[in-house]
Amino acid sequence: MTERIELPQGTLDLLILRTLLTGAQHGWAISERVQQVSSEVLSIQQGSLYPALHRLERRGWIKAHWGTSDNNRRAKYYELTRTGEKQLEQETEAWRKLTVAVAQVLEGA
Amino acid sequence: MLEDLRYRTRALFRHNEVETELDEELRFHFDKQVEKYMRSGMTEEEAKRRTRIDFGGHEQVKEDCREARGTAFVELTLQDTKYAFRQLLTNKTFSLVMIVTLALSIGANSAIFSVINGVLLKRLPYSQPDRLVRIFLSSREYPKFPLNPFDFLDFRARNHSFSSIAAFTRGDVQLSGDGEPERLNGFGITSGYFRVLGLQPQLGREFDFQAEIPGNGLQVILSDRLWRSRFGADPNIIGRKVTMNMQPFTVIGVMPAGTEHPGNEYHAVAYGESVDVWWPFSFAGNPNQRGSHFIEGIGRLKDDVSHERARAELNAIMNQIAREHGSENSGWTVLVVPLYTELVGTSRQLLLVLLGSVGIVLLIACANAANLLMVRASTRQREIAVRLAMGAPRSRVVRQLLTESLLISFTGGALGLALAYGGVRALVSLLPADFPRAHDIHVSGPVLAFTLLVSFITGILFGLAPALQASRTDPKEGLQKSGRTSTASRNQGRLRNALVIAEVSLASVLLIGAGLMLRTFLNLIHLNPGFQQDHLLTASLSLPHAQYKTNEQTAQFFQRLTSSLNALPGVESAGAGSDLPWTGYDENAGGFTIEGKKQANQEYHARYHMATPGYFSAMGIPLLEGRFFTEADKKDAPQALIINHTMAEQYWPHEDVIGKRMTFQDVPKKDSDWMTIVGVVGDVKDQPNSPGAEPAFWWSEFQVAQSDMSIAIRTHSDPRQVIDGLRDAVHRLDPELAVADIKLMDSVVDTSVSTPRFTFVLVGLFAALAILLAAIGAYGVIAYTVSQRTSEFGLRVALGAQRSDLLRMVLFQSAKLAVPGTILGLLLALSLGRVMQNLIYGVNAADPAILFSVVLLVLTVALIASYVPARRASRSDPMVTLRAE
Repeated sequence: MTERIELPQGTLDLLILRTLLTGAQHGWAISERVQQVSSEVLSIQQGSLYPALHRLERRGWIKAHWGTSDNNRRAKYYELTRTGEKQLEQETEAWRKLTVAVAQVLEGA
Repeated sequence: MLEDLRYRTRALFRHNEVETELDEELRFHFDKQVEKYMRSGMTEEEAKRRTRIDFGGHEQVKEDCREARGTAFVELTLQDTKYAFRQLLTNKTFSLVMIVTLALSIGANSAIFSVINGVLLKRLPYSQPDRLVRIFLSSREYPKFPLNPFDFLDFRARNHSFSSIAAFTRGDVQLSGDGEPERLNGFGITSGYFRVLGLQPQLGREFDFQAEIPGNGLQVILSDRLWRSRFGADPNIIGRKVTMNMQPFTVIGVMPAGTEHPGNEYHAVAYGESVDVWWPFSFAGNPNQRGSHFIEGIGRLKDDVSHERARAELNAIMNQIAREHGSENSGWTVLVVPLYTELVGTSRQLLLVLLGSVGIVLLIACANAANLLMVRASTRQREIAVRLAMGAPRSRVVRQLLTESLLISFTGGALGLALAYGGVRALVSLLPADFPRAHDIHVSGPVLAFTLLVSFITGILFGLAPALQASRTDPKEGLQKSGRTSTASRNQGRLRNALVIAEVSLASVLLIGAGLMLRTFLNLIHLNPGFQQDHLLTASLSLPHAQYKTNEQTAQFFQRLTSSLNALPGVESAGAGSDLPWTGYDENAGGFTIEGKKQANQEYHARYHMATPGYFSAMGIPLLEGRFFTEADKKDAPQALIINHTMAEQYWPHEDVIGKRMTFQDVPKKDSDWMTIVGVVGDVKDQPNSPGAEPAFWWSEFQVAQSDMSIAIRTHSDPRQVIDGLRDAVHRLDPELAVADIKLMDSVVDTSVSTPRFTFVLVGLFAALAILLAAIGAYGVIAYTVSQRTSEFGLRVALGAQRSDLLRMVLFQSAKLAVPGTILGLLLALSLGRVMQNLIYGVNAADPAILFSVVLLVLTVALIASYVPARRASRSDPMVTLRAE
């Protein structure tokens, strides 16, 4: 198994928002998706996922509705709101700048 | 933002729905995960176990979600409060003891704070009250003295510090006309007096400068009360003539309700709505003679002028005046005192001492509550251990326990407020009659806020240490032990002992304070007043100058009145004097010459009074030498003087004073310029707590004809029976004359010791509460340790210990708390003695008898408090212990 990396502070929100950009998902799917896309490097603990979802919902960046999952069970689906999309754009931009800057420092110093 | 609010509101009000959804969501996640693991080849059992490990604490996740919803604070508080309520109900005795003791101590604090709020904190009812100052003169002999009217005029004309400045002096008037004649509290005021205070008449206007000119003074401003009660709130009152002092005064203004007298020093009238009429002060007499001082100054400082600067300026003006008018004006400095300081200055210390006392009571109650909570926390160790084991963070446990203590303190606070509501009324009725701003004392908004704050602080104060301690419970240990036998940690034991020692020491401080106040009060009521207060009726009369124009008329009136009073059945003796003892009279005369004595830089001065022949025997003031006045000491007879013992000792030491003469004339020419001492009477002090009697002399009323006199009637039986006789006697001589201030001398004396009585009652009450609380505290700790050591005691008995040994052991443990507590208390009280210095009389702050009694009392109480648990210990049954182990 690949070694997992602890998520830096604040990146969890970014990952969730990005994952939801492709469409509404329930909590489990979000964590699976992140794990997959990151080649099993990033994993989201349930302990932090759900509080984060509730926090994002409170801020109005995502909204929730109940739907039916593939195996016909009721599941809570989250999707991006208009403000959530904007927020994602801003945070992505900020993240890019940050990583570039950090990389520059690491290489140049 | 709106989204946020909507979300939180839903989370809060549809709490159950939201919680069920969360449960369902988490269960869904769980199942999906299990499914996933099973697909990778695990058995269902194994998959579930794995998932559970992944998940971490299920409850913790839910808790975090609640947190994320932003409603956790409210939700948890509600939940904690519900739980706390259940806890309180399951342990009724415990809750009751805590709540009642807190209610008593918080209530006492709220009540005292009501007084402090009303008296010290509430704004004075004048505009920009911090700009108002009182102006006095001061010399070596008279630290606080009224102004001379012409000095005041110079102050007014020359100063640049005040935006307005005014003067006033007491001058009661007699209102006649419709209805019973009435004596009214009156003040002569200069123009601009109300402008200084920032008050406007509700009808008419205030006096102008014209009214200050002698002969223009027949104008009056009425108080709202008088306008309503005597003139039916007549809207057309302005311009109407009313009869005062038998003269027609024109009403030119009516002040609104709430016009408060700013207090005065000379013939003081209490602060408050205590004045009925104001008349224009007129500057009569010779402006070059400035020896008499009887008006008081008040001024409004300009915005940028400090009272120090104003004082410096007035002193410079005073020096100019002294250069212009000579020696009469030298030796004075001007005092400028902020009105607030002047008004509440003396009561401030008393109130702060009382606040300190109730604060101590509250601290003791807190220590007690903390102790009780710690005892309970150790019996709840198991419960707390379970919560910790279930994954509750320690902060949650602390929070839960703090909620419980806050619930207790707020319940106590609410009850306390109810107590304060009743207590404040009792307090106000106990207050000395002349206490400033007594009518401003209510349980008001600030008092409510204060109570809430105190309840909150109290709850945290007594709850925090036990809560932190309980949260440090080791879940493993707590679960293994059963709740009852778990022993308190050593730390906890030490903290509890320290709390009891603190309680005992604080209670000792209060008891010593109460002892000092009791001693003071007893000293004052048992001291020999120099007169006899019982069987004595007093009243006051004021003869209007308009009707009693000559000295003969006045003298004749009092001569006739006293002889008809003496003839009343049941009267032992009756007389009239210019004043009554202990009523604040301090008229001083200086500048007299004693025959045959050189004025070697010594200024003679003495209190001066007037008296009729019967006055001294009616007052019960003893004659030491010579004789009392007689009917013969009247006009044309040689001027007779009676002096008091102090005056004889001070000015004629070791001499026979009878027949000695003194005079107020600078150059006495003839015999009639001299006054001859005919008698010496016993001393009476100005006030019961004055350090000593001042030199004093009396003129014969029949020779000097003072028109404002007090009547004193000594009776064989109840003096109230002669009230009607007194009224009839006065009205037979003058039907228009008001008989005012009819009082028993007993009540005059009572009033004069009301401040020390008030202080003693309150400090005593608080001290009693404190020692009761400390006893409960000591009992609690000892009883708890005894219950913890039951098995140890049983073993000791089994091993042959005598029951008396066990008794002694427990009592010794209690002494280990009480003795250091008392010693600490004594030291604390000794270092605080200075604070009480001005409040006590005739007793040293370190009075050994009081200190000794308090030590004895505290140790006895501690012994009694620990005796019950000690006896229980000594009855320990070894069999019970052995079976239990």
